[in-house]
Amino acid sequence: MRDALRLRGVTRRFGPVTALDQVDFALAPGEIHGLLGENGAGKTTLARVAAGILQPDAGQVVIGGEPLGARGVGGARALGVAMVHQHFSLVPRFTGLENVALFDSAAWTRRGTGSPGYRERVEARAEELGLEVQLDVQVGGLGVVERQRVEILKALMGETRVLLLDEPTAVLAPQEVEGLFAVLRQVARAGAGIVLVAHKLDEVLAVADRVTVLRRGRWVLTGEAAGVSARELAEAIVGAGVDGGGGGVGGGDAGGPGTVGGGGEDAPKVGAAGAEQAPEPRPGDDVEVARLRAVTVSTGGPIPLRGVSMEVRRGEILGIAGVGGNGQRTLAAVLAGMLPPDSGEVQLPEEVGWIPLDRTEEGLVNEFTISENVALAVHGSDDYRRGPWLDWAGVAETAAALVRDMDVRADSSATQAGVLSGGNQQKVVTGREFLRSGELLVAESPTRGLDVKATVAVRARIAALARSGKRPPGVVLISSDLDEILELSDRIAVMVRGRLIPVPREDHNPTAIGELMLSARGDGDP
Amino acid sequence: MAEFGALSSSFLVAAVGLGVPLALAALGETVSERAGVINIGLEGSVIWGALGGALGALALGPYGGLAAGALAGGLAALVFAAFAVWLNTDQIITGTAVTIGSLGFTGAVFQSRFGATGLALELPTVPAWEVPVLARIPVVGPAFFDQAVTAYLAYLLVPVLGWFLFRTRRGLSLRAVGESPEAANAAGVPVVRTRMLAVVFAGLTAGLAGAHLSLVHTGTFAENMSAGKGFIAIAVVVLGRWNPKGVVAAALFFGGAEALQFALQAVDADLPYPLFLALPYVLSLAALAGWFGRSRAPEGLASAWPRG
Repeated sequence: MRDALRLRGVTRRFGPVTALDQVDFALAPGEIHGLLGENGAGKTTLARVAAGILQPDAGQVVIGGEPLGARGVGGARALGVAMVHQHFSLVPRFTGLENVALFDSAAWTRRGTGSPGYRERVEARAEELGLEVQLDVQVGGLGVVERQRVEILKALMGETRVLLLDEPTAVLAPQEVEGLFAVLRQVARAGAGIVLVAHKLDEVLAVADRVTVLRRGRWVLTGEAAGVSARELAEAIVGAGVDGGGGGVGGGDAGGPGTVGGGGEDAPKVGAAGAEQAPEPRPGDDVEVARLRAVTVSTGGPIPLRGVSMEVRRGEILGIAGVGGNGQRTLAAVLAGMLPPDSGEVQLPEEVGWIPLDRTEEGLVNEFTISENVALAVHGSDDYRRGPWLDWAGVAETAAALVRDMDVRADSSATQAGVLSGGNQQKVVTGREFLRSGELLVAESPTRGLDVKATVAVRARIAALARSGKRPPGVVLISSDLDEILELSDRIAVMVRGRLIPVPREDHNPTAIGELMLSARGDGDP
Repeated sequence: MAEFGALSSSFLVAAVGLGVPLALAALGETVSERAGVINIGLEGSVIWGALGGALGALALGPYGGLAAGALAGGLAALVFAAFAVWLNTDQIITGTAVTIGSLGFTGAVFQSRFGATGLALELPTVPAWEVPVLARIPVVGPAFFDQAVTAYLAYLLVPVLGWFLFRTRRGLSLRAVGESPEAANAAGVPVVRTRMLAVVFAGLTAGLAGAHLSLVHTGTFAENMSAGKGFIAIAVVVLGRWNPKGVVAAALFFGGAEALQFALQAVDADLPYPLFLALPYVLSLAALAGWFGRSRAPEGLASAWPRG
């Protein structure tokens, strides 16, 4: 059978970085093909080249037997290629319907005006796919999950022969991942080939027919999903004999700050374990570092907060679970002191470390080097002062340590932040915020989009931080990744529609929390 | 009472006459800014339009002059677009350079052609067309419907641009480019081409505005006669909130303020008349600050977009 998509010897460089190095790739019609690799391995670049967004420097993209050439996104679209982007490609101030229509020539008459009945066709398609989509709301005001549905619907409106999804599960709760996979299976049954870029091996293995692994821009292996173990894949992803693979995370046994795992004993821990190793509750010294009382926010954030009360004690990790878009970002902004509430009481320590969800936009100055970005965080600290001047040597040392500890794929700490891949940028931001955590650290999905190794490192770092020294910070861990919440948290609460629901200790398991996460959904929801 | 009617009518005539060039330039700039390009070089297009209009009118008559003016403004905008869009240079700096360069070059061309004697140049002017029936409406009739063809073009552009921007595929694509070039690119919209075309369109209308100054308003050309009209047009776009209807209303408002200022000079009132020139800018700032409701500039305004 003719391939839905074929890449022949594709090479793509960004400045001095070779993101893809003579990669061959084939996608059969009707198959779901998992694409695996660490951050910077070239997965996203491969998808973007196939979608015509990036031109390859060498090699060829063939779609359904026809070479794409230099026809770009429009050409790829015409040949039936659509992509769901990790950071989405929606115009925030357009409605869902406008965003869908922008991409779909069937939305328009030959004269270029809106095609009558298009709205009904979109609604029918959404229903067919089982996607609940808000078409008349500006997508900038939607939660991340709702935006993803718009993006998926947009990709599937036309004749789709090849569907590329970049990290679509990173923002979803377990139950919703199942829903997404159901959509993908349906699309595959209809004959489209699907490329699924993801980090979680167990998820990929659950849905994919075949998998391909990339490492540092090169093809490593392709095989039947049924024929490879998670262990083999993990080794292929990280590379055989790579040290510092990281051992167990969580519990009280993680290494000190800056060290990654135990090293060498095993391949990185993969997938959904964690539940059984939730840490014992520790008798923290009951010093409160932050407290919210009946905090309500109805403006300023897209999702309001409704009477949220919580306190964070020194040395504890408070996990806040929830499906993306239920008010977590608003809560994080309040905790970071960036958003004053409309009513209620807020007590925060003077210095708050914040790992924002949108790390590339809110976190880094792309034109600055890694060192300079680190300097932005520490320039107020006495440790980096030399008389009236900034201690650049000290900053550079810290930045170099960060690059090493977080396994940032960069030539040095003098590399510009803008040339790093998305995942590596996240590592820089995350590592940097650990430097200034003060008394409270707010971490929003700190491992979203990170590869296995970096995920292990970040989790170890958070666990170690909350248990370090005399005055450890209180940590608020906001994440839609239940494994992460269960693995690290001392206490857990669930965010649903702007309310915070504490989870009793006996319910610290994926089923109970997952049910809570989805509990109030659909109530009075259009 | 009849006297008041005559006075207010003549004020309105002046207000519309002064508002038309602002409306033309601002409507074009609206399209350009909706595509994410702020063209500070608009003033340059206006002055080239005025000179092109003058030279064109001498060779081809007044209507040929209008066409030549529009073309000259479009060419100036093409220079701006070549740098700011094609070569992705900074929009603000490039626009400023184009404006300053244009004021100098047009002066040089004018002097080399007509000498530096300061002798007033007499140009064939574009006559006013009276619209039957509508022009008879008391007060507003003569003000709006006894104008030169440029005014009617400005009126016509309002519904046409409104339809284009909000009802057509190209309009949606253009706005997507202005809001988020990344998203537009991912959806297959050619960002650079869209921006080039939008900027050149703004240049054409700004050139027409300039030709209006030389061929309708004054019947002559003088160096620097654009007198900041291009910059005012950019403020008009803000006050009109990037919407053709609002923009044309804002242009008339600015025109009215200018007319009032002339009227006050004439009656020698005991008021510093430049105050009325300043008032619209205060309102533009208020509009930017969102005091008239939320309507923000396109999110990708002045954003860089490298080719390839």
